[in-house]
Amino acid sequence: MTDPLALDPVLSPAERSTRGAPARRRDEAYDAWFGRFEAHVMGGGKVEAIDAMPDEYRTAVLRFVEMHANSELMGVLPEREWLMRAPTLRRKLALTAKVQDEVGHAQLLYRIAEDLGKPREAMFDDLLAGKTKFHNVFHYPTVGWADVGMIAWLVDAAAIVAQQALRDSSYAPYARTMRKICWEESVHIMHGRDVVVTMVTGTPAQRAAIQDALDRWWGPLMQMHGPRTPREKDMDLRWRIKAKTSEELRQEFLTIYVPRIRELGLVIPDPELRFDEGAGEWRYTEPDWNELRTVVTNHGPMSEARLEFRRLARAETAWVRDTILGVPAAA
Amino acid sequence: MTTAAAPVIAGLDGLLLSMADDEFVIGFSDSEWTGIAPMLEEDVAMSSLSQDELGHASALYALLAEVSGTDADALAFDREPADYRHARLLDQGRGDWAMTIARRYLYETSDAVRLEALAGGSWRPLAELTGKLQREERYHTMHIDAWFQRLARADGEPRERLLAALESLGPDAGTVFTPLPEEPALIAAGVLARPMAALERDWRSRMAASFANLDLPALPATADPARGRSDHGDAFTWLHGEFTMVRRSDAGATW
Amino acid sequence: MKGDGHGGSGPELEAWEVFRQEKEGDPMRHGGSVMAPDADLATHYAREMYGRRQESVRLWIVRRADIVDLEDPDLLQPPLDRSFKKPGGYVMREKLAAAREAAGQEKPKARAR
Repeated sequence: MTDPLALDPVLSPAERSTRGAPARRRDEAYDAWFGRFEAHVMGGGKVEAIDAMPDEYRTAVLRFVEMHANSELMGVLPEREWLMRAPTLRRKLALTAKVQDEVGHAQLLYRIAEDLGKPREAMFDDLLAGKTKFHNVFHYPTVGWADVGMIAWLVDAAAIVAQQALRDSSYAPYARTMRKICWEESVHIMHGRDVVVTMVTGTPAQRAAIQDALDRWWGPLMQMHGPRTPREKDMDLRWRIKAKTSEELRQEFLTIYVPRIRELGLVIPDPELRFDEGAGEWRYTEPDWNELRTVVTNHGPMSEARLEFRRLARAETAWVRDTILGVPAAA
Repeated sequence: MTTAAAPVIAGLDGLLLSMADDEFVIGFSDSEWTGIAPMLEEDVAMSSLSQDELGHASALYALLAEVSGTDADALAFDREPADYRHARLLDQGRGDWAMTIARRYLYETSDAVRLEALAGGSWRPLAELTGKLQREERYHTMHIDAWFQRLARADGEPRERLLAALESLGPDAGTVFTPLPEEPALIAAGVLARPMAALERDWRSRMAASFANLDLPALPATADPARGRSDHGDAFTWLHGEFTMVRRSDAGATW
Repeated sequence: MKGDGHGGSGPELEAWEVFRQEKEGDPMRHGGSVMAPDADLATHYAREMYGRRQESVRLWIVRRADIVDLEDPDLLQPPLDRSFKKPGGYVMREKLAAAREAAGQEKPKARAR
């Protein structure tokens, strides 16, 4: 999935996360400690919530986890519409459980970010004000039941490829949560694939709907992990907050899922897509990075509508938080 | 769960349909909170309650399907709004959090009394399912009690909203106990221990005690009790349109 | 100290740690945490986040503020040799070999397990 650093190349300087600059040098004692900390994480060492850590590391982890949390929360909305419309009892139960898991993942991730010092109300404020971002795929409309299957299968698959690479993050609470999330997500992908396979072997209208969904979702999927970024400049990689680059994740997704898509007789809407044996990697039409930029800066087809829906829902339930739940007002 | 030779008990299908429709409709309405409940942890909790209701509905439709020789999904999805037999208590739209809690409280307490009257009944598949439902409902009761108490005891907006919700729901509060078609046959066959009217009296005295304890006004009598499971209104018609939309888009397709 | 955001009256949201037991006989393991205004709702939320899939047979829910944390390296990892307190401090391979040789004995076969 896109992490904040991966988006920077498509954003204007004013829109970027302020990252990438080397750690500020303070005094000898601090620099020595910073050096030991870096050696610790770069050598595979772990960091817990109550450990001392440089501000730069804390900020980097917080930003990374916050975007992930935002995405789980916003990711509920495209599927939520179809909860009401699930065509069988079993699909309704499966989809409700899946969406419940997304909310649960949001809880797990916001908890991690809270323990790094940012209250969840402040994170919601920033999300709804457009100051922090959420993954591109959740800015698009879901037009039918076929979309529900396609998202549950391929969007979750692309996400799980990224999440599996986070299971050994240097930030231990995040690593542990990723292992729990990966285990839970594996069920979602099976549900999604089941919906897709059922429709592909169903009526002509169902088959056509699945191909149409693939045609619309392929572009955003290819953009999802973000543009290629140089390894050397990626502080999240350096500090082992994450383990793989955007391109490595995209290649892994293609390797696993292109065969599974084609075996259903579906046509991937990219005539350039092929595996280059010599180079040992997939070639594809360059994703539309302008589209990615437009979308993640909240100018996507559903960005504003979904953020507004959240604002209204949040306002509607504020009285419960203020009284019964005792949620502190954001500073 | 099998019924090798399903007994012909008059009224059994009406009983199962009313219970299944109740669980189905409340499960659907409350699943509307998914993603937008007051707090993330509570969102997950409310979603579990909805899923449980849908699971209960599925089990009840499955039992009814065996008795009547149809299919659970067909029962759940392929009727017109006027043919659903859920209690009118469940007909209003989701409403605010206080409305959801109030409605759930009234429904869960009613359902508990109904299940007690079905526990140990003469038709084993239903008696067994009732036992399982009662065990699952314990958590629902704990959770809804927790919220009902907190809203009632918090001065100001929470209590005011709860009072408004109870006033709105009051005339429909007792509709879970709407007398069933062929109820005497169900009682004679030992499926239902006592008539719905008797169950309603029990429930109302429990509510009187609990409401007095929380200084809440007594519930009014049910309006138009004979039609307590009919005349569902516009909100349900909208809900029906939503939950049948995909299924109707390609009739006969497998999903 | 809690109460900073509210002036002391009314409920206050705080963190509760959740420990879970996967199956009977297993140790309690830390799962994560939930936010709740009191023990009752904390228990419900713990059940949701760490038990809704029937993945736990037992949960312990503890106010984070009630947990006493110890990670002082002087207490837990003091510097002087303490190998006499661990099995690894008793390597006697060579002594045994010498004793067997002196007694003209073979090393006994490993027991069948």
